[in-house]
Amino acid sequence: MARINDVGGTQGFGAIDTTDDTEPFHADWEARVVGLFNTLRAQGVFNTNEFRDAIESMPPGEYLAASYYERWFTAICALLERKGVIEPGELDD
Amino acid sequence: MTSGDHHTDATIARRVRRLETLLEEKGLITGERLDESIDAFLAESSPANGARVVARAWTDDAYRARLLADGTAAVRELGYMDGSYQRLRVVENTASHHNVIVCTLCSCYPLRLLGPSPSWYKSEAYRSRVVREPREVLREFGLSLPGSVDITVWDSSAETRYLVLPRRPDGTEGLGEEELAALVTRNALIGTAAV
Amino acid sequence: MTDAAPDRFPPGTRVRTYRHDPPHHTRLPRYARGKRGVVVEPEGPDELADLSAQGRGDAPVEQIYAVRFEARDLWGEGDHHVVLDLWESYLEEDPDDER
Repeated sequence: MARINDVGGTQGFGAIDTTDDTEPFHADWEARVVGLFNTLRAQGVFNTNEFRDAIESMPPGEYLAASYYERWFTAICALLERKGVIEPGELDD
Repeated sequence: MTSGDHHTDATIARRVRRLETLLEEKGLITGERLDESIDAFLAESSPANGARVVARAWTDDAYRARLLADGTAAVRELGYMDGSYQRLRVVENTASHHNVIVCTLCSCYPLRLLGPSPSWYKSEAYRSRVVREPREVLREFGLSLPGSVDITVWDSSAETRYLVLPRRPDGTEGLGEEELAALVTRNALIGTAAV
Repeated sequence: MTDAAPDRFPPGTRVRTYRHDPPHHTRLPRYARGKRGVVVEPEGPDELADLSAQGRGDAPVEQIYAVRFEARDLWGEGDHHVVLDLWESYLEEDPDDER
C-alpha cells in the first residue's frame, strides 16, 4: 500500500501558500536537527534511504500534523532506537 | 506549528537538546561538529549559487552548452557540486517549453545551488498538485503560461537533482554577469517564476 | 560500480512501470504505477533504494532511467509531461506498443 508521504495527485491539500520565506530555519532546534542528521549520516549510523523510510513509516495522522523538521527528528529518533543507540522513552521528561 | 497533540516547539526543543546530550555522552557526536556542520550548510548553500550558474550560461554559450550536456561537471567547474546527490541535470526553458521541479515523495532539492528550500516546496499542497495540474499551480505563483507552452514536471524520485535554466529577459543585453545574477530568483530556478 | 554492460532500455524505449504494491519503501510513486512511458536517458547506476532503505549492505546496484510520461496516461487528461527517475527493476518493456 502506498505510504502517507506519497502524495502526488492526492486531492484536498488546498491552495499553496506561496510565501517566499527566506529564513532557513524557524527555530534553533531545527538547525540542530539538520546538524544531527548530517553528522549521524556521515558517520554511517544510517543512510538516506533508511531515513526516508523512517519518515514515511510515521502514522499518517502524525505525519500530516508534524512540521517538516519535526518529521526529521521523529525519524532520527526511530532509527536510533531501532539500532539500539538510544532506548525508547529515553528522551521523555 | 499548529495546535493538536503533537509536540509544541518548547517540548521538541527540549527533546532535541536531550538527544544531543545523550549522543555526546555516547561519544557519537560533539557539539562542535554539529556547529561546524550547520555553519557549513548555511555558508555553502544559497540560491545565489544557482543564480551565478544561470548568469554564466546566459553570457557564455560554450558554458551553456556544457551545462545542458552535463550539469554535474559544469556546476563543479564553478565549485558548486556537493556529495549529497549524484547528478545534476539542468533543464532549459524556451519560448515553447517550460520546466518545473518537484519531489512528490519527500522534498529532494539541490541545496547547494538553491539554499534551504522554501516551505511551499515541502508542502503537501505543492507536492500533490504540481504533477497533476501544473498550469493551475503556476498560475497561483503568478505565472500564467499560454496554452501553446508545453510543461514538463520533473519529479526527483532518485539521486539526480534538477535546476531550471530560465529564459534570459529581453532588454538585458547590456548587463554583465553579476547584474544578471541579481535578477534570478529562487522560484525561477525551481520553475515557479520567470525572470 | 562496474557497469560495462549496455543499458537494458536505450533512450526512446517504450516501457511500462510495474504494478505491484510493495510493503516497504520504494521510489515509484503510486500515481506512476502500471503506467506507460518513454525512456529519456540513463541517469547512472545507484543502489536500489527499496533494499538500501532496509539497512541492507547488499542492495543491488541498478541503472536508473529518466522516464517521460504523458499527463493523459497518468491522469486521463492534461497536456503536460512528467519525468521520473526510475530504477531498472521498476520497468519492463511495453508489451503492446500500439500507440
